[in-house]
Amino acid sequence: MSTVQTDSINLFFNAKSVAIYGASASQNSVGQAIVQNFIKPQYTGKVYGVNPKYTQVLGIPCFPTLQDIEAPIDLVVVAVPARITPRVFEDIAAKGSKAVIVISGGFSETGPKGAEIEDEIVAIARKSGIRIIGPNCVGVVDTHSHIDTFFLPEYRCGRPKPSNVANISLVSQSGAFAAAISDWTAELGLGISKLISLGNKSDIDDDDLLCYLGDDSTTQVICYYTEGYDEDKGRTFFDTAKTVTPRKPVLVVKSGRGKRAKAASMSHTGSLAGSDNITDAAYKQAGIIRANNFEHMFDMAKALAMQPAAKGDRVLMVTNGGGLGVMTTDALEALGLNIPSPSAELVKKFNEKLPAYCAVGNPIDVVGDANSGRYNVVLEEAIASGEYDIFVVGMLLQTPSLDMDVTNVISNHQRSSGLPFVVVSMGGGFTTKAGEIMALMGVPTYPTGEKAALAVKALAQYGEIRYGAKFSKTMVSDK
Amino acid sequence: MKEAKKIFKAAREEGRTFVLEHEAKDIMKAYGIPIPAYATATTVEEAIEKSKSMGFPVVLKILSKDILHKSDAGGVKINLKNEDDVRKAFDEIMKNAKKYGKEKGLEIDLSRGVFISDFVDMGTEIIVGVTKDPQFGHALMAGLGGIFVEVLKDVSFRLIPFSETDAREMLSELKAYKILEGVRGEGPRDIDALVEVMLAVSKMVEENPEIIELDCNPTFVYEKGKGALVVDARILIENLNET
Repeated sequence: MSTVQTDSINLFFNAKSVAIYGASASQNSVGQAIVQNFIKPQYTGKVYGVNPKYTQVLGIPCFPTLQDIEAPIDLVVVAVPARITPRVFEDIAAKGSKAVIVISGGFSETGPKGAEIEDEIVAIARKSGIRIIGPNCVGVVDTHSHIDTFFLPEYRCGRPKPSNVANISLVSQSGAFAAAISDWTAELGLGISKLISLGNKSDIDDDDLLCYLGDDSTTQVICYYTEGYDEDKGRTFFDTAKTVTPRKPVLVVKSGRGKRAKAASMSHTGSLAGSDNITDAAYKQAGIIRANNFEHMFDMAKALAMQPAAKGDRVLMVTNGGGLGVMTTDALEALGLNIPSPSAELVKKFNEKLPAYCAVGNPIDVVGDANSGRYNVVLEEAIASGEYDIFVVGMLLQTPSLDMDVTNVISNHQRSSGLPFVVVSMGGGFTTKAGEIMALMGVPTYPTGEKAALAVKALAQYGEIRYGAKFSKTMVSDK
Repeated sequence: MKEAKKIFKAAREEGRTFVLEHEAKDIMKAYGIPIPAYATATTVEEAIEKSKSMGFPVVLKILSKDILHKSDAGGVKINLKNEDDVRKAFDEIMKNAKKYGKEKGLEIDLSRGVFISDFVDMGTEIIVGVTKDPQFGHALMAGLGGIFVEVLKDVSFRLIPFSETDAREMLSELKAYKILEGVRGEGPRDIDALVEVMLAVSKMVEENPEIIELDCNPTFVYEKGKGALVVDARILIENLNET
C-alpha cells in the first residue's frame, strides 16, 4: 500500500474536524448518541451536525448540507437512511472530504436492492477519492484522539483506555462484537489503541487496516475477528500479513470453522480441502496466530503486547504453591512447551540459597512461607544460568509471608533480563488488585494456570514466527 | 509453460475441463516431475509394440474425453506381463468402455485408444494435490495415501507458492510422518524427492492458474536416495464458459 492510502486511512483516527450527517435532537437516537461522543471534552477537534431540521444539536452547530459548513471537514459520519445516502455522498464529494464512516444499515446485507445503493455510493467515493468504512457498522474508537463513533451510550458500553505499557488494536467484521469487546476490555483494563468495526467492507477491508496498523506506533498487537473474506481477499490479507507478522503479532479469531457444504468436487484433493483447513494453513504460513475464541485471543494479546517474544521454548515455573505449579506445568506441557529440570549445577546454587524444605525442580516450589527474597534468589540464579527462555511466576498472595515487594522483584528481573515473564495469581479481591499492580509494572498477570500457559504459548509461538530458524526449539513433538 | 497452454487450449476446444492422462504427464514432464515411462496407442497392435519397447510389465488405461473416472468404467488393467496380456486387456478395456457408455447413455469416444505406462514397483503411497479456495486461492495438499487419507484425513495444506521450508514443515505436520522418516525396520523414505515434486507442482500451478484441481495420486516415494514417481495424475481446469 502506498503512503497516500495510509494517509487516507489516518484521517479516520486523527480527524481534526468531524461532521455527523444525521445528527439528531431526539433522545436515544443513533444520530444523537454519536454527537454525544464528540462533545465530550476529550475530543479536541471541531464538531458539526448536518441535518436540515436543526440549526444546533446539543449545542453544536447544525447545517442543512455539508457544503454549508465553511471550514474543511476531515471525517464524515453518516447515520441517515440508506436510500438517501447517494445524495449524501454527492454532497460529501462536492465538499471534498475524504473519509466517511457509514453507520447505517440497509445496504448489501439486505439483498440486491441494498447492494445497488452500496454500489452507487462506492462509485461516487471512488471517483472522488473518498475512503469508506462500512456501511452497516459501528465505526471506530480511538483511545488517543477520542474519535468515537460507537452509537452506544457509555453507561451501557464502556470504552477502553490506552495503557502506557503497550496497546492492542482490534478489527472486527461484526459491530456487535466490537461493542462487546469495547465494554469488556474497559472492564479488564487492557490497553487498547483502536477498535474498528468494518461492517460490509464496501471499501476499507481487513487488508487495508493491516497495512495501516502494521505501521501504527500506538498499536503493538493487532487482533481480528472475521467471519470470512470476499473472493480472493483472503489472499491479499495473507500477502500483507506475511510482511507485518515479522514486526508485530497478528491474532485472528475466525468463525465459520464448521464444515460448509463443499462444492461438488471432481478431485480427491478438492473433496478433502475443507475451507477451514486452508484457512488454518494460510494463517500458519503467514505467521498469523489463530485463537479459538475471544478469551484466548485477549489472553494471548495481553502477553504479546507487554512482553518481548521468546527466543526459545524452555520454561521455568517458580511458585509458592505446589498445586498451582503442577497445574500450570501440566497446561504448559499440553501446549507443547518444554519444562526442563534445572542442571545439577543450578540445583546446587538453589540449594545453597534456599531453605532445605523447598522443592527444587521444575516447577520450583519456594513453599508457603516464602517472602519476596526467595523469588529473588531463584530468578537471579535461573536467569544467570541461561537455561530458560521464559519465566512463569506463581504468586499466591493469601500467605502472610509474601510481601508486596514481590511485584518489584518480578518486574525488575524481567526488565533487566529482557526475557519474557508471565505471572499467575489466583484469588479474590486482594489478589486481583495485586495483579493490576503487576500489570501496571509491565508484567501480564493471569488468574489461572491455564490462562498463563496460553500466554506463554503465544510468546513462544510468536518467537518462532519472528525469529524463524534462530528460535531455539528444544521440544521434539511426540506424535 | 507453453506446453501446458497448448494442451489446455486443445482440451477446451473439445469441451473438456480435464486433461487426458498423457497430456497431464506431458505437462508434468515439462516441469521436471518424475513419472514412469508412458506412451499412447490407438490400436491393439500399436499397444503391443509400444509395450514391448517399454518393457513388461505395463499398465493400460482408457484414454477418452468422455471418461474422467477410468476405474469406474473398467478402464484400467495393471501388471500386464506379456503380449497376450496386453491384447486381452486392450479388448476388455474397449468392451468395458462401450458397456459403460450404454449404461450411462453416453456416446463414448474411443478413437484415442489407450494410455500405456510402465508398471512400477510399489513405493510408500503419497497423495499430492491442489485445490483452489475461493478466499485464499490455490493451495497444495500432501498426505500419505490409503487409510491415512481415506479414513484419518491426515493431510496438510499450504498456499501456493510456498518455500522448501514450508514443504518440509507440511510433511512433518502429518500424523503419519514417522512412516516417511522410517519406522519398524523400514528405512527412511526419499523425503527430498517428495519435496521436489511438491515444489514443482507448486511452480506448475503458479504459472498455470487455470488449473483448479489436481491430484498426483498415488505418488510413490521410495527409499532414501531412490526417488519418487507420480504414478497417476489428474488435472482439472477452469471452465471458461462458466465465468
